[in-house]
Amino acid sequence: MTSLKRSYASTSPSTTLSSKTYLRTLKSGKVQKIVREVYLRQDIPCSSQLCTACLDLAPVGFHKKADPPVLSATPAATEQLPQGHYIVPDTNAFLSAMDLFESEGVLQDAIVLQTVLEEVKNRSLPLYHRLIALTKNEGKRFYVFFNDFRLETYVRRDAGETINDRNDRAVRKACGWYAQHLEKAVRARKSARCPVVIMLSDDRENVRKGKEDGLPAMNLRDYVAGLPDANRLMDMVATSREGRAARDAKAQMIYPEYVSMSAMLTGVKAGTLHQGVFNVSPYNYLEGSVQVPAFDRSLIVQGRDNSNRAVSGDLVVIEVLPKDQWKAPSSKAIDEEDVNKNETAENEEDEREAIVTEQERRALQEEVRKTHGKGAEGRAQPTAKVVGIIKRNWRQYVGHIDRDSVRSRNKESRAQQTVFLIPMDKRVPKIRVRTRQAAELVGKRVLVSIDSWDRDSRYPVGHFIRSLGELETKGAETEALLLEWDVQYRPFPRTVLDCLPAEGHEWKVPASTDDPGWKGRRDLRDLLVCSIDPPGCVDIDDALHAKQLPNGNFEVGVHIADVSHFVKPNNAMDKEASLRGTTVYLVDKRIDMLPMLLGTDLCSLKPYVERYAFSAIWELDQNADIVRKDFTKSVIRSREAFSYEQAQLRIDDKSQKDELTVGMRCLMMLSKKLRAKRMAAGALNLASPEVRVETESETSDPIDVKTKMALDTNQLVEEFMLLANISVAGKIYEAFPQTALLRRHPAPPKNNFEELSNQLKVKKGMELRTDSSKALADSLDTCVDPSEPFFNTLVRIVATRCMMSAEYFTSGTQSVPEFRHYGLASEIYTHFTSPIRRYADLEAHRQLAAAIEYETLDASLQSKAKLEGVCKNINVRHRNAQMAGRTSVEYYVGQALKGRILEEDGFVMRIFSNGFVVFVPRFGIEGLIRLRDMDGGEGEREPESVFDAENYALQIEWEQGQRKVELFQKVKVRISDEAEESTGKRKIRLQLV
Amino acid sequence: MPLDSSSYSLAQFSTQAAADGSSYLEMGQTKIICTVNGPQESKRGGGSRDQSNAARIETDISIAGFSGVDRKRHGRGDKRTQEMQHTVSSAFSSTLFTHLFPHSTIAIAIHVLSQDGSLLAACLNAATLALVDAGVPMSDYVVACTTGSTASYASNDEEADPLLDLNGLEEQELPFLTVGTSGGEDKVNVLIMETRVQMGRLEAMISVGLDGCKQIRGILDDIVREHGKKALNSRVN
Repeated sequence: MTSLKRSYASTSPSTTLSSKTYLRTLKSGKVQKIVREVYLRQDIPCSSQLCTACLDLAPVGFHKKADPPVLSATPAATEQLPQGHYIVPDTNAFLSAMDLFESEGVLQDAIVLQTVLEEVKNRSLPLYHRLIALTKNEGKRFYVFFNDFRLETYVRRDAGETINDRNDRAVRKACGWYAQHLEKAVRARKSARCPVVIMLSDDRENVRKGKEDGLPAMNLRDYVAGLPDANRLMDMVATSREGRAARDAKAQMIYPEYVSMSAMLTGVKAGTLHQGVFNVSPYNYLEGSVQVPAFDRSLIVQGRDNSNRAVSGDLVVIEVLPKDQWKAPSSKAIDEEDVNKNETAENEEDEREAIVTEQERRALQEEVRKTHGKGAEGRAQPTAKVVGIIKRNWRQYVGHIDRDSVRSRNKESRAQQTVFLIPMDKRVPKIRVRTRQAAELVGKRVLVSIDSWDRDSRYPVGHFIRSLGELETKGAETEALLLEWDVQYRPFPRTVLDCLPAEGHEWKVPASTDDPGWKGRRDLRDLLVCSIDPPGCVDIDDALHAKQLPNGNFEVGVHIADVSHFVKPNNAMDKEASLRGTTVYLVDKRIDMLPMLLGTDLCSLKPYVERYAFSAIWELDQNADIVRKDFTKSVIRSREAFSYEQAQLRIDDKSQKDELTVGMRCLMMLSKKLRAKRMAAGALNLASPEVRVETESETSDPIDVKTKMALDTNQLVEEFMLLANISVAGKIYEAFPQTALLRRHPAPPKNNFEELSNQLKVKKGMELRTDSSKALADSLDTCVDPSEPFFNTLVRIVATRCMMSAEYFTSGTQSVPEFRHYGLASEIYTHFTSPIRRYADLEAHRQLAAAIEYETLDASLQSKAKLEGVCKNINVRHRNAQMAGRTSVEYYVGQALKGRILEEDGFVMRIFSNGFVVFVPRFGIEGLIRLRDMDGGEGEREPESVFDAENYALQIEWEQGQRKVELFQKVKVRISDEAEESTGKRKIRLQLV
Repeated sequence: MPLDSSSYSLAQFSTQAAADGSSYLEMGQTKIICTVNGPQESKRGGGSRDQSNAARIETDISIAGFSGVDRKRHGRGDKRTQEMQHTVSSAFSSTLFTHLFPHSTIAIAIHVLSQDGSLLAACLNAATLALVDAGVPMSDYVVACTTGSTASYASNDEEADPLLDLNGLEEQELPFLTVGTSGGEDKVNVLIMETRVQMGRLEAMISVGLDGCKQIRGILDDIVREHGKKALNSRVN
């Protein structure tokens, strides 16, 4: 009988099998023995175009295509390396300088080792995804070499060796192998030029060991210094660990250390610590708040030492402070630029920094002198301090260089200096940036990213990415706000445009109804359909028709552009659209979700031409109750495209008696009934300050600012869109109970309205009831000040800000009662009516098409996980698009006011102890008036004032005598604009008259 | 797609003298002993003679408690084990010449010593070897292997190649199927899939699996021939 025992001979080094055995203890106390085997191969190619040997042995996949070699045969040469070189970056090189690797045209032909890739993945997922994107970018020629699976480059971890040392060794071994391998390949080709394989590392020890082994190893900075255009590139390298290590010795730790991850997790579990997103107040950069489930009010984090290096948006763990330190939210407005104006960015080298500067401490002190009444005890809120950070949410920040922090303004100077970057987003602290081009960057919009925020630095340290152009120029400002809100604005790539119909603008609905395009479509060309949109609208999503039926009921149809016919799931165009999520409307520009050809022509329901549509058709009775509903793909021909005003005129014009006008009057009549019903059910009529900027058509320079007007026809369209959305939501939920894409609006927590209802009670003696949306709607109607018609709108604006935001979700992720749309008072809701400009609508179209069995549902819409990802993305995109639009209006309002001085009515919206916020409805702007600016002079002296927090009033004594400012008060303000000397940035300035 | 032949380096014949035929097979970390007894007269209690005119194939699989990562007792009546037993029996019923042995039984006993994926495939391959060793006439080898698919929407690689011969970790994560053929041509005896996968990916998986089966047949065939040569030599000398 043969022995079953494996002979030891078979595990000799010649084998291609390597196994690793280890024991691990489970939570339950059991011990597991894990055996892992690695099969080492010799057919992993080096992927250099120089090497012919690897070409033959590269494995061919099932799809019968071998990957072509990635690395160029003639890689770039530098002064130091005239024969050309491939780079093998170490993990820390990627971690510290991803932007550098991403810059176009330099640092090509890189070998990304599997060891490095995995280390990057463990250290930072976002960087890992960027690196993966890089390896897919054909122009960059980054090749992933699976060194841990190749026999020659596999490295076994020695006893006592740390995993880091093992990985470093693996990198060195792979470099050595590549060098030998290439040499052999070059010799076989008999060519003279053999590229050098150079290892880039930030780790001094690794470089040293590499050199010891005879490898050309280099520090990242030294390497970059040898490249052309080194100055620009050098700024993209984060301050290397080497530099940081040197500083550690002498620097003083000014921030407390973070608690370890495991301590945080156990603390959160035990309830002693809390986890939440850190949000900084837009009025006071030293005050943040964190909403946690354990407290019904948000926790306040005050001061720089308590916020402990958290940046707005980070996911933090906080510890609640003892009760005697609980405070009311700060009643002061504090702006970082004013408080720490005179700091120099470089001071860390000369002197130790105090964590809280004297000015800051003074600014934060709630000086008792001016607070009246019972004081803060009654309104004290729990305060907390940040003890650790679970996840940083750093992105790229747009800002400008603080002129005062620049040492040498000489344009020729190439000396490296540290400057402050002041981000556009006021909630983000200044960022310390080292640059050699400071003089050039002053007065420009600059994009930077944060690298780290160490305990010894008062401010985060970042690096420069690129300059967007001069401040205040339209191009730079527009790009800045697009970047700030992460809007994808680059032109559509080739692959996307290839998905468009080949006919281009010549595309027509096929004439013959036997054409496959007509399959399953109803011919609705004889219906009198028209569209009503804002003036100048080119992407017409929706069209309507109505007619009276013989039985006295009405047939009403809502026809939506059939975008899903042109955008098939999972092609390049669909992927791009799902990334963009929505079309972004700026004042002078529209950033489309879909290419122009579709958005403004083929899908757009233009008048007088036939178009594919997705129609929802109802039979409504005299009371606008639904008798029957029907959804179908169709072909329509719109008779006319009206603007809101035109439609209103046509309906009001009694002399018009044609069928189309009669149909529109039916629509109008029904819409009013629908609206009344909706209001009775408790739908909210909310308001937000909306203004429209009129621009000159040629130069798009702003001329005037107008507030938007709402006509009956606006509401007509809105009502039928809501009807369509609600009907479709019901239908797709019925068909796909787990994966229907819906939209919900959660009811706001009660204490969101606390402040507002208290203010209304104190100032106006009005009561705000918030138990349900119906009660809120009713009580909002009673908040009327007969002497001031705008007051009601003002209350509605404030009420809107207390609401939660609506969100997209898949039906499987929420319980049915949570589907409710609070604002619309509807049990179920989705977006269906604007597929040209919203991706959610496009997905809803596909689901509805499957629900009516027009086509089969694509797999991507059946996967709950995939849809959740889509929802998450479009929720973010939707909010960003709104913010970008708002910022754009703000910028243009500012431009329109340039050089003018106007006096306008405003309303006091908020009161601080050292200033108050005024809202000017005419321009939709909101601005802070600080007491110390009221003196007319630039002085630091504040006029004497008494702040009454209980009654929301501020008694001021200034030159013109006594003045009392109260909440909701109507005041006259002078609006002007001024350029700030330090930054050259233009700001709107309000002054009390 | 090449099969990593090193994982099949250990397949042995006639490991147990007491049985008519036996084999020991390692596929990666999956280790199996298989013994075959028969064809022999059916031993049925109760006197009623086996009236069938073909041999019955009885399979018994026992999975050792220590075979997996967690120690776990696998009872006799375990549903999964029963299913596998049935699958093995039916896979061989069309390939073995059972009609030559009426009123008799071929008993296949499989002991799983260690499992790390491709369990059913390994059982089939081990059983083939043991049956060959026992000298049961058959038309061809029954060989099997697993294929899985890594293609997913999330990672955006619809075109990813299917994987061949999965280990335990991969089986937990990926949709996979076991395909068993009568090695020579693409005659499928077994095709089992217990996970869900997109219809479009199935074809690629199956064709990769068929290809894998052919390679495994080559490996097993080599082992059989080698063994045969040795046996002949020892007779001659």
